[in-house]
Amino acid sequence: MRRAAVPLLALAVGTVLADSAIVTLALPEILRHLGGDVTGVAWVLIAFNLVLAVVVVPAARVCARRDPAPFAAAGIGLFAVASGTCAWAGSMDVLIAARCVQALGGAFALVACLDVLIAATDERRGIRTWITAGVVGTATGPVAGGLLTEWISWQAIFVVQVPIAVLAVPAALAVRGAHVPQAERHRPAVAPNLALALLSAALTAALFLLVLLLVEGWRRSPATAALTVSVVPLAAFVASPLARLVRAGPRSETAAGCLLIAGGLAALAIPPSAALGWTIAPQTLVGLGLGLTVDSLTADALRDRFPRALHGGWTIAARHAGVVLGLLVLTPVFTADLRDAQVPAQEAITALVLDARLLPADKIALAQGLGARLESESGRVPDLHPAFAGLDVAAAGRPVAERLEHDLDGQLERAATRAFRASFLIGAVLALVALVPLMPLPRRGKP
Amino acid sequence: MNRRAVVLPVVAAALVSGVLGIQVANGGGDFVPARAANPCLARAVTPVAKGIEALGERMVFLAIDAAACRLGVTREALVLRIATPGEHTPQEVDAMRAGLLQAVDRMKADKTLPKASDLTDEALDNSDLPGLVEWGIRHLPDSLINGVVKTDDVLRRAISDLDLRTLLAGLDDPDALTRQINSAVSKAVKDSILARLRDLLPG
Repeated sequence: MRRAAVPLLALAVGTVLADSAIVTLALPEILRHLGGDVTGVAWVLIAFNLVLAVVVVPAARVCARRDPAPFAAAGIGLFAVASGTCAWAGSMDVLIAARCVQALGGAFALVACLDVLIAATDERRGIRTWITAGVVGTATGPVAGGLLTEWISWQAIFVVQVPIAVLAVPAALAVRGAHVPQAERHRPAVAPNLALALLSAALTAALFLLVLLLVEGWRRSPATAALTVSVVPLAAFVASPLARLVRAGPRSETAAGCLLIAGGLAALAIPPSAALGWTIAPQTLVGLGLGLTVDSLTADALRDRFPRALHGGWTIAARHAGVVLGLLVLTPVFTADLRDAQVPAQEAITALVLDARLLPADKIALAQGLGARLESESGRVPDLHPAFAGLDVAAAGRPVAERLEHDLDGQLERAATRAFRASFLIGAVLALVALVPLMPLPRRGKP
Repeated sequence: MNRRAVVLPVVAAALVSGVLGIQVANGGGDFVPARAANPCLARAVTPVAKGIEALGERMVFLAIDAAACRLGVTREALVLRIATPGEHTPQEVDAMRAGLLQAVDRMKADKTLPKASDLTDEALDNSDLPGLVEWGIRHLPDSLINGVVKTDDVLRRAISDLDLRTLLAGLDDPDALTRQINSAVSKAVKDSILARLRDLLPG
């Protein structure tokens, strides 16, 4: 069991951190199934990250004083129970409450697993495994969530977490009694943790907003969106090996990573069209930036600092506080921008319908159908197809109607893309601000 | 400064510049909803419909442009406003009436206003006149019809007579709309013919 413990615990760490953004692609489905509004459903994400950010440091203090294995097992067990509750939640309130419990269990699991992994391997490999599992989990969360939602259901996201967690409980208990009291106590590393928080806020824009743009704005299926955003984890995986070829040092890697994330987000703010291909290069920049920054900053925050669990806790707190900051800053911005985009979108649609080469009676029927669609999906980017499906046009008018539907969808895509621009640019600014705490302070001159 | 330390940020900056450059070169900043055209600039209106329907569509489109220009809003904003159920402001009603009259003037000036004889058959098809009267009108020479009934005069009379406030408030009831317009046009044709006859009579 002890041999299998490392991959099982790494999987559990990755799963807990994947939960930060795993429901992003499922949010529209959750909204449809449980009801509520966009701001309410955003709390399914915010609640998990907020509780994790708040609880993880006190949890780390508890774990640092005693044998971490039972805490890891208990945390993972609680996480599994809460995941099951999420899957069976019949209301938004129950789901959000279960997400809070998930985060509570996850907090103990994460910090305790750091010490357990070190005990099961050695200092260097244990930290490396813990950091890598976290980066992989963070980057692949939205992809996994999107695929599960499309192929099975949003509940499947939580159901699959249960066996993963259940297997990790005995794995954690197999490494019991490995607690080494650490006399040394260091202060948390402010600069890398602050940079982690700001970068996580910026990455929220990339992982959260991009999937929303793809699913809600460009009306792609969750599976298509999941496959599209898989560019980020793929690029993140190759970033570190590529950087190692240069051997530039962690500060240089982090600076380059911040620039890449900022540039990628700026590029996502100005795609030339709604073709998925235009998101590939910007996502590659974000993924490379993610791979260069998160693990090197986490390693920097942990380097030569004890107790490990406590400093691991600070990195988790910083990252998830950053995610909460990102969600709290970006959600109102893009929801307000989406609302403001309705008038130009309606006017663009009206212009196209007025100028369409259709008979006046067809235009009036279409306008009534489009009005009904806009009203029924108020606050969201509407699907206009039902308005065209119900249109009874003569054979000669059909190609014109098809062309018009295509053009109207194009206008909606343009309006949605424009609405996300400010949020992506705010994300880019946050990534650049993350460079500030990493700048070396000027040394005081000696008199 | 360590030269290796500069390599990665420089490569990153180059990659970012390249991606942003390609996006902008392909119109990245311009992927926004189409802007509404200035309603004060003349717009070509070429309806797909024929006959009276085409005349109506062309006139309404030109009128909306003129009214929007008068109100200082876009054509699309005015259409959305008009399509919203409920009462409309006196300014909107006045602007629409002025726009319709302006549309008649423009169509007359650019010679796109059809002659009365071009519309007679279609008008009779949709009328409920007694068979004999209908037969008689159908067999009148075009020159006589065009001499007695001037399309622009009929339209101006109909527009002035229309209760636009009620008409705009009831756009969701096509039957009531048609009844109002038919009644206004019939009265306008009658008044136009009477006025023409009065002009022809001595004294």
